[in-house]
Parts: sequence; structure tokens; C-alpha cells
Amino acid sequence: MSSLASAAAELARRAVSTVAADEAEAVVSAEDSALTRFANNHIHQNVAETGVSVSIRAVVGTRQGVASTNRTDDEGLRACAEAAARAATVAPEDPEFRGLPAPMPVELRDRAFESTRRFDAEARARAAAAIIAQSTERGLTAAGTVSRTEYAVAVANSHGIDVSEAVTSVKSTVLAMGVDGGSGWASWLGGDADAFAPEALGDQAATLAQRSEGPGALDAGVYPVVLAPDAVSDLMDFLGYTSFGAKDVYEHSSFVADHQGQQVFSELFSLTDDALAEETLGLTFDFEGMPKRRVPLVDKGVVLGPVTDSYWAARLGLPNTGHALPAPNPYGPLPLNLEVAPGDATIDEMIKGLKRGLYVTRFHYMNVEDPLKVTLTGMTRDGTFLIEDGRLTRPVKNVRFTQSLVEALGSVRAVGNARALIGPDEGGATLVPALLLERWEFTGQTR
Amino acid sequence: MHDLVTTALDAARLAGATYADARVVHERSENISVRSGRVDALESSESLGIGVRVIADGAWGFAATHDLSTEAIASCARQAVAIARASALTVYSPVRLAEVEAFQDVWEGPCQIDPFSVPLEDKLAVLLAADEALRVPDEVAVSSAHMGFLAVHKLFGSTEGSMIEQSYTESSAGIVAYALGDDEMLPRSYPNSHGGQAVQGGWEAVLALDLPGHAPRVAEEAAALVSAMPCPSKETTVIIDGSQVGLQVHESVGHPTELDRVLGDEAAYAGTSFVTLDDLGKLRYGSEQVTIVADATVPGSLGSFGYDDEGVKAQRDHIVEHGVLRGFLTSRESARAIGRTSNGCARADGWNRIPIVRMTTVSLEPGDWSLPDLIADTEEGIYLETNNSWSIDDKRLNFQFACEIGYEIRNGKLGRMIKNPNYTGITPQFWGSCDAVCSAAHWQVWGLPNCGKGEPVQIAHVAHGAAPARFRNVRVGVGR
Repeated sequence: MSSLASAAAELARRAVSTVAADEAEAVVSAEDSALTRFANNHIHQNVAETGVSVSIRAVVGTRQGVASTNRTDDEGLRACAEAAARAATVAPEDPEFRGLPAPMPVELRDRAFESTRRFDAEARARAAAAIIAQSTERGLTAAGTVSRTEYAVAVANSHGIDVSEAVTSVKSTVLAMGVDGGSGWASWLGGDADAFAPEALGDQAATLAQRSEGPGALDAGVYPVVLAPDAVSDLMDFLGYTSFGAKDVYEHSSFVADHQGQQVFSELFSLTDDALAEETLGLTFDFEGMPKRRVPLVDKGVVLGPVTDSYWAARLGLPNTGHALPAPNPYGPLPLNLEVAPGDATIDEMIKGLKRGLYVTRFHYMNVEDPLKVTLTGMTRDGTFLIEDGRLTRPVKNVRFTQSLVEALGSVRAVGNARALIGPDEGGATLVPALLLERWEFTGQTR
Repeated sequence: MHDLVTTALDAARLAGATYADARVVHERSENISVRSGRVDALESSESLGIGVRVIADGAWGFAATHDLSTEAIASCARQAVAIARASALTVYSPVRLAEVEAFQDVWEGPCQIDPFSVPLEDKLAVLLAADEALRVPDEVAVSSAHMGFLAVHKLFGSTEGSMIEQSYTESSAGIVAYALGDDEMLPRSYPNSHGGQAVQGGWEAVLALDLPGHAPRVAEEAAALVSAMPCPSKETTVIIDGSQVGLQVHESVGHPTELDRVLGDEAAYAGTSFVTLDDLGKLRYGSEQVTIVADATVPGSLGSFGYDDEGVKAQRDHIVEHGVLRGFLTSRESARAIGRTSNGCARADGWNRIPIVRMTTVSLEPGDWSLPDLIADTEEGIYLETNNSWSIDDKRLNFQFACEIGYEIRNGKLGRMIKNPNYTGITPQFWGSCDAVCSAAHWQVWGLPNCGKGEPVQIAHVAHGAAPARFRNVRVGVGR
């Protein structure tokens, strides 16, 4: 066990022992992270942080209160425990609350790499310089990040749950900008700093920026689209957040409520939440210490799910899938390790198969206009191209879409055979291929 | 706290920093929410730590720790210097800061009734009463009521001689009724969406909102939305309520005039800006009616302070004056890059984040119309209230906002209710179409406690003063 994880576990046990209540739970999050940020071809921000937080949930009957602190001495923990217990005595009874969960076996993963712990400020600066060089050599301007994180989470409760795990990650993003509106993007996320190849990442973004110089206008309308993995990741994050949590299903704010077991999407589309997958990052237990289960959410277009935690599993009579967020959790359980099943097409094959369409590298600033249809609006960014007669013919200025994701995923025509790990590095990540969708509505364009 | 800051500054100097500042920040918060009769959250939290920012070898370094022992703080300062030296590997010109006066001062925000002294029982009683009143109509499927409190006490010190202690309390509260229609969920909020209203102030601010008193009206409006007409898809005149005008200012004026974005510092994450340095004093940002100020001195606003997190005194500065771009939101480093002094907009989200350029209270100055007169003066159009969703491109040009509720305007009168209205536009064109702003009697400061920017991400608490305003030839009903 890593020293960060063992210290977190010891702190969680100490915290639980301080609570005067019927039941108690402590979640400890410890972090040692650093982020090197560059823009205009030089490092302009460079930060590091060590921190820890203890969150205590006290239960009195069926009443719950939560308090958290980053003061880990005895006095700090005692004050935190008292605040949680006091809140629990004031809260109304919740007859649906069945108590904190009992221990279950957890499949722990070794996801902490020594190489990443050693990825210090100088190594990150060298990586940033290697990325920047790919742009400066071509007369481009680079911006982005190189970061490393080690975080550990420990959960303990008064029923004997006592689990902890550490995860390391390296994340890098690169934006290369040209002189005539060209813009290219590349990102990398992984657990092992030794697997990170900054030059290749810098080259990928710079090549895209060169290719997208001089973007032009595009008429609004419905187009077939080839979405690169970064764009697909954005969409899946929204789909998971709006639709596949048990609370959303219970409240009928998700399409899943009325379509469970039905063929809603294309048969080519399958979506799973799997924190145990070899390729992913994140914890293998949730914030109640329950094992995270592999949960099929869409199987060949048929809607399944949702994910649950102890409260919503009991309330809906479903198995606990281990998807609790830290208490108190107004969002309900959420999937944090989404993966789209790979298909058999390359991106080149997708493009070749289109008479006319758009290629989208990634999206920007999406938001939900209608949660039930998962109608999203947002912009394309950093490499949008018109496809004509099976090839990328010209770059276009960023375009706005307003589109129901439920409808769009009914029109999947091809799924990529290669997947990329994308996303936030804490708590989970999204494993996605490229997608070819038959219909995507673009409703405007920027200047 | 003074000893902690001094320890950090001394250690940074000894390690070779040519400039250093340190901030000790202590935050306490309380968050209570009720949803459909059940207490969703009843929590308190506390956070204390120090962040040390240095310049060494002409480059920036920053390190932060929750460990406030003398050894840990000194080690943190040395780490910041080592990081700065690593940054210098790619630096082609040394960091230079605009001059600032050194201050030794204490500043405190307004608070009449300390919300942390109010019993939890009293707070819960308000929320449970409001939540229950929201659930009266059958159409309301989900109800929610929330309040939150934050107390911040912080000390800033720098090697230039400043030592500034500041403390303030923030209070926020709001309610939402969600009506379930045919394959749609329709929210209706009070006093604003996304958490309600947020101010610098105490329990008195929450009582003044009278959540239970407004809940029946909010619930009725939510229920009525179920059978309201859909938003027509067309180009028309819109009158937008103050809260949504505030968000429009935030996204399409506040962010694009942040000087770090203009200079490219935020390019990879939040984006850049359509505004360039050459536009200063020339760009026609909006119509004559559009005057926008950044003001960190507005009493009781989330965007107010005595000094920013670089020790620059709070200021009021014009960003747009009668439609012409006059200024940017700046930090010491960005201001120096354009030969100006900082107008005090560098703010950090806690002890473990660096100050970056953020909004303060960025407001559309009031005009002289009354809202009834403005509606009466509008032959045909839509009146829009309360934000539901927002999106804007990486240069802050193409935006799209959805609102919770709208009403037809026909022959100077409000008509049928409209559900799910949205509108889209291009920033300077949109502000150029503003032909009327309501008066100070309709002007209000809206707190916005969820502005994300920077990497690692920082959440800023900012605010916008605005009154209802009218815009011509706006495209509505996008994708409807």
C-alpha cells in the first residue's frame, strides 16, 4: 500500500473512533499534485499542492449529518465529529434510510506508479518544452498543461468497512494555434509518467493546427458527423451525468425511467460503467467503501442501468452497484468510469464513407437545454473540417449545435476500433472510440 | 496568522525569490438542502492552509499546504522557489509586475446576523416550509430548497511590505419547483436559478428573501409551464429580466475583457477572446445605452473586497462606456503588459490556488425606462426570465442561453406564457442591438458563486448588477 493510502486509512479509522453516534463513516481524501501550465510558448503558471480532507457522516436513528475538515489533529477531528453528530440530531428522520452499509470484498487495483511520483517540476518543464518545440518549429503558438497527481481515498465506518486505495495520473493537454485561425488539440491521460510521450502529443496538436488554418463558413443544418474521441468523451460525460443515476431515474428527470429495456439507440452503441477495466483510472470502491460493479448501461442500443448507491439501491429495490459520491450527495449515484464498446471502423474509413459531413475534434462549453431528451448545446473547437466525397476538404470556423443526444445516438453508423482514455483524472475517466453519427444539427457559427 | 505569513516570506527570500507573497486562508461553510420533503444535505466544513507564490529566476512558482507547522511552511516556500526555477527553463522574458502601494490594513464585509450563530433548526424550518409549499400543485414532481453560508478570514503578506487581513461572510438561498410535462422537466426558480441569490451578508439576507412566501407563486408558474406554448423559432425583439442580463454580462462582457484571456494565458482551457489589445478605446462593443463597470466596492456584493489577492486596493473601473471598449479586468502582471496599473481583479479560490484575473461586480449601468413602460413600448416580442442554461464559444462571440419562462409581447402587453425559450447571438452585434435599459429602480446585484476558470480549476464568487433590457432582432427558439 502506498504511504499516502496507508496514512489516509489510519486517519479514517481515527476519525470514525471519535464520533459519538449510532453509526459513523469517515472518508479521507489525500492529494499530492502539481500542474505546469504553458501559454504563448512558455510556462506561465506552475503550481503544487499537498492537502487532506476528512469528511465524517454521523447517523442517529435515521438522521444524518456530515462535517468535513482539513485539520487532522485530535482537536480538529473531535470538532468535526461533534459538528456531524450535532447535525444528525437536528435532521428530520428519513424512513427510507436503512443505515450505513456493511463491509463487502473490494477488488483493489495497483494504480499508483513510482514514475509518476518522480515526475517533478523539472521533468514537467522538460515535457512542456518538448511539446512547445513542436509548435514553435512550425510558427505556431502552444498552450496547455502537464500535470501529475497522486491521490488516495480511504473509507472507514462503524460496521467495519476499512478500505483505501491510491491512484497516480499524468495528464497533458495541448492547444496549438496558427496565424490564420488554425487550431489543433491533443490530450493524454494515463497512470504512468514513463508512458507519456510529449513530443508526439505536441506533434499531433501542431499538425491539426496547420491543417485547420484559414477556416471558412458553413451553412447551418443537419450533417452526418465523425466525432473524434475527445468529442465523444464530452457527450458521454453529459449522458452519464443526466441519465444513468438512480436518483434521476426515480425522479423521472431521465429518459431511462420510461425506456428501460427498450431499444432506444443504434445496435452499434453499447455503454458500460466499469471502474475495474484494465485501461481506466480511478478508485475501485465508492465513497461508502462499497465495491464498484461493472454496470452495463446500454447494450447494443437497449437501455439498462441505472447505477446505485446504498440509499438508492434500498429505496428502489435494486442491487448496490457501488456508485456513491461523498456524502451528503444531492446528485445521487453517478457513473464515473464510462466506456463505449469499440467497433471495427477506423476514422479514415468513417470519413471515406461520407459524401458530405463534418469532422469534429472536440466540443466546447456544452450545457443541457432539456435533460429528458439530453438536448445539449455547445460549440465545436480546435479542428472542425468539412468532409466531401470521402475526404477532409476544408476547415470550418467553430459551429454551434443544438441536438438531442438520445436522438443522435439512435443514428450511430460506425464505431471506431481504437479507444482513448479521456477526462478528469480524479475519480474516474472515460474510455471512448470515435463515432460516426448520421444526424447532428448545427444551428449557428461563430465569426 | 501573521507569523505563518512571515515564515513563508522569509523562507522564500532565503531560497532566492526576488518577490514572494503568501496567503493564509481559513474558510468555514455550511450547506443545507431539502428535496421533495427529505433533507438532502446538512453539512458543515472547514479548511485552513497557506499558499506561497514566488518569482525566482524571472519565473513564477507556487506551492500550497494544509500543514501549518513552521517546517512545513518553510518547505512549501522552498518548493515554490524550486518550481519557479523549473518554470524558467521555458521563459523568454522575466515576469514583471505593475507597481502597487504597500498596505497594512484590515477589511471586513457586511454581516448583521452571523448565520453560523443561527440554530440549524431555524434554517431547516424555513427550507422545509418552502419545500412543502412548492409541492402543492400536482404538476410539480420535484421540489428543492437550499441555503448556504461561507465565512472567510484571510491574511495576505508580500515581500513588498503589504500585510492585509480581510474577512467576510456570504449567504445564499433559493427554491426550485420542477414540473413534469409530456416528456419534459420544467424548472421554475426563485429568486434565481442555479442556487438562488448569493450576497455578502448574514442571516438577514436569507430572511429578506422570504422563500416560503414566494413558494406558492413559483409552484403555480412551474405548473402552468406544462401547458404553456413552445418557443416560436424566429427573429424578434426580446426584453430580458435583470438576472439573465447579469449572466449575459458575465459571459459576453466579463470573460472576454479579462486581460489574461486577451493575452492568451487561458487559451487551452477557458479560451481566448475576440477582443484584442488594439480594440481599446476603439471597439464598438454595444450601443450608446451600454455602459459596463467593474466595481469591487459595491456593498454586500459577492464581487466586493477591500483588496484583491495580490494586495491591490478595490476599485471601480469602466470596461465599456456608452458602447465603446474602455478597459480590461487586470492583474498586476497582465496590467504591466499593457502599461497600466492593476485595477484589482486578481482573485484566488482559497489557499491552494494562485490569484488569476477574475470578475468583481461587473454591471450594466441602469438606464431610465420603467419595465411597464418598456413593455408598453414594444409592439411584438418575447419577455424572458431566469436562466436555465448557458453556452458560449472559446472567443466569447457565439452564445446561446435558455431561460425558464417567457411571455409573448403583443401590442405592448404581456400575453401567453412560453416554455423552454432560448436565444442566440454574436456578442458585439447583440449588445449593439440594445436600445433600452431599465432604471435604477429595477437594477439589482445578482450573486454568481459558480464561475469556473483556470487549471487547476478555480471557482470564483462574482456578481453582476443589471436591470431588464431590450434587444432588437434576436434569434429565438433555436432547435425548437
